[in-house]
Amino acid sequence: MSQFDIQFTFNGETISAISGQSVGAALLAAKQRTLRKTRFNQKGRGVFCGIGVCFDCLVVIDGASNQRACITEVISGMKVQTQVGTNA
Amino acid sequence: MHNVVIVGGGPAGLSAALTAAVAGAPVLLLDSNPRLGGQYWRTPADNFGDQNENHFDLATGLKLINSVKAQSNIQVLSGAQIWSASHKDGVSTLRVIYQGSEKIINTGNLILATGAYDRSLPFPGWDIPGVMTPGGVQSLIKGHGVVAGKRVVVAGSGPFLLPVAAGLVKSGADVVELLEANKSWRWASSILVLLENLSKIKEGFYYIEAISKGKVRARFGQAVVGAYAGENGELESVDIAKIDRNFKIKKVRNIKCDVAAIGWGFTADTSLAGALGCKQVVAKDESVVVLIDSKQQTSITGVFAAGEITGIGGSELSMIEGEIAGKSAAKFVGCAVDISRSDLIIRAKKQRFAAALIKAYPIKSGWRSWLDEQTVLCRCEEVDLADLKDSIVELGATDSRTAKLLTRCGMGLCQGRICGRFVVDLVADQLNISPTDIDRIAAVSRPIITPIPLGVLAAGE
Repeated sequence: MSQFDIQFTFNGETISAISGQSVGAALLAAKQRTLRKTRFNQKGRGVFCGIGVCFDCLVVIDGASNQRACITEVISGMKVQTQVGTNA
Repeated sequence: MHNVVIVGGGPAGLSAALTAAVAGAPVLLLDSNPRLGGQYWRTPADNFGDQNENHFDLATGLKLINSVKAQSNIQVLSGAQIWSASHKDGVSTLRVIYQGSEKIINTGNLILATGAYDRSLPFPGWDIPGVMTPGGVQSLIKGHGVVAGKRVVVAGSGPFLLPVAAGLVKSGADVVELLEANKSWRWASSILVLLENLSKIKEGFYYIEAISKGKVRARFGQAVVGAYAGENGELESVDIAKIDRNFKIKKVRNIKCDVAAIGWGFTADTSLAGALGCKQVVAKDESVVVLIDSKQQTSITGVFAAGEITGIGGSELSMIEGEIAGKSAAKFVGCAVDISRSDLIIRAKKQRFAAALIKAYPIKSGWRSWLDEQTVLCRCEEVDLADLKDSIVELGATDSRTAKLLTRCGMGLCQGRICGRFVVDLVADQLNISPTDIDRIAAVSRPIITPIPLGVLAAGE
C-alpha cells in the first residue's frame, strides 16, 4: 500500500493524499463525506456513482466550481471547497 | 487506409482495438479514463503497486492492455471526453476535449464501446452522503485504494454485488449485510446455461470464498428501503425489508451502517450512439440498448458497437463482441479478415448467459411502493415524487417527456442518467399506462454528451 505523499486543503483544512487518487477518494479517506450542499434545499451530498456519471460530488477546485471530485486527480497544493449551490 | 476510431478502453474497446490493429487497420482509441481497462479492469496509478489481489482476473486485462500499448498501429488518447457528436453522409464527427482543449475527429469507421454504469432505484434517503452505488464503492477500492466506510451494507440485485462485497471484505471493511432482492431459485431454469459458462461459476466461487472470510451472511429476498442521516447529515442507518417476489415490503428492521452500496444491475450508456443517430431498442430488461446486426454493425453503415451498450452481459461477452466488431471494422476499411464460425459460437454462448442474468435478476415493480411523497427522484434538480405527481394531476402531463419539462426532472447536469429510466416507470404508473419504447428511448436522448465549460470551446480549434 502506498504512503501519503501529497497535501491539499479542503475548506482550509490540510488533507493528505496519495498521488494518483481522485479528490473524492482522498476526501473520503479523510472521512469527509459531504462534498456539496444542494442549491434549493441545502442538502448534503457526497460521492454517489464514483465514476463521473451522476455529478453529485461537485466541489470547487482552485476557484472553479462544478468539478467532479470522483474523477479529478488530486494535485499537491490544490484548494478544494464545499460547493454550496453553484459556488463555494 | 483509413483509421478505425474506437471509443472506450474497457474489455470491448480493448479487444476491438487489438483485433482491428492485428488485422492491419490503424486504430485511434479514445478513452475518458486516465488509464485503460474500463470499469472492470480499473487500476490505480503505478505507485500503488501490484493490484492482482483486488481482481478476479486482472492478468487477462493487463495482457490485453499491454498488447494494445505494444501495437505500433494503435494510438491511444487517454483522458479524452467526447462532449458532442454527429453523423452525416457516412462521416461521424466527434468533438473531444483532450488535455484542456477541443479536438475534432472525423471518421467513416467507428466502433462504440462506451460501457455501462450502475442502475439505481430511488427510496427515501437515497440522496444522503454514504448511500452509494456498488460500482462507486468498487472504483474507490480498485482505482484509489480507498475503502468507502467501516460498516457497509451491500444490497440490490445482480451478480455484481458479489465482487463488491468481496472487495470490501478483502479491504478490511465490515460487510454487515449482503442483500439480494431476488431468490436464488430463479437460476433453476438456467442450469444448462450455467454449465456451458463454467468460467462464470468459477468467478462466482472466487468471490464467495473471499466474502466467506468476513462475517457476512448473504440474505435473499431482502432490500434496503430507507436510509437515515445522523446529526451531521450523513448516513447512520438503513431500513432493511423482507420483500415478496414483486418487491413489496413485508417486514422492516433497522441496522446501523456508514455506507450502503446499492445497485440494481446496469444501465448501458448509449448517449454517444444516440447522438450519432444509431437506432436504439428496448431490451428484455426494459433497458435501452444499441441495435446491432450479426457483424456488430449499428443501423449506420460503418458505425459498429460492442460490449455493454448492446445489452448488459459482462466482460467475456464484451470481449468477443469487441473482437467481432474489430474484424468487421477492419474489413470495412479494406483489411483481409473475416468473422469466424467460432467467434459466433462463443458470442452466442455468452449471450445465452446474458439472457439468463436477466431472468435470474428481474427488477419487479414493487419498488415503487417504497417511495414517499418527499422521496427525491431527480438528484440534480431536487425534484421529488410529489412534484412529479403534481405535474400529472394538477398540470395535466400525459407522458414522461411533458412531466420532465414541467418539473425539470432529468434536466440537471447528469441529464437523466440516474433518474431517467425510473421516472418513465413512475409517470406511467401515475397515468395507469405502460411506458412505450419511444418513452424509454426519449429518456436517454442527450444532445450534449458531457457538459463542459464554454471557455474550453472558445479556446478550441
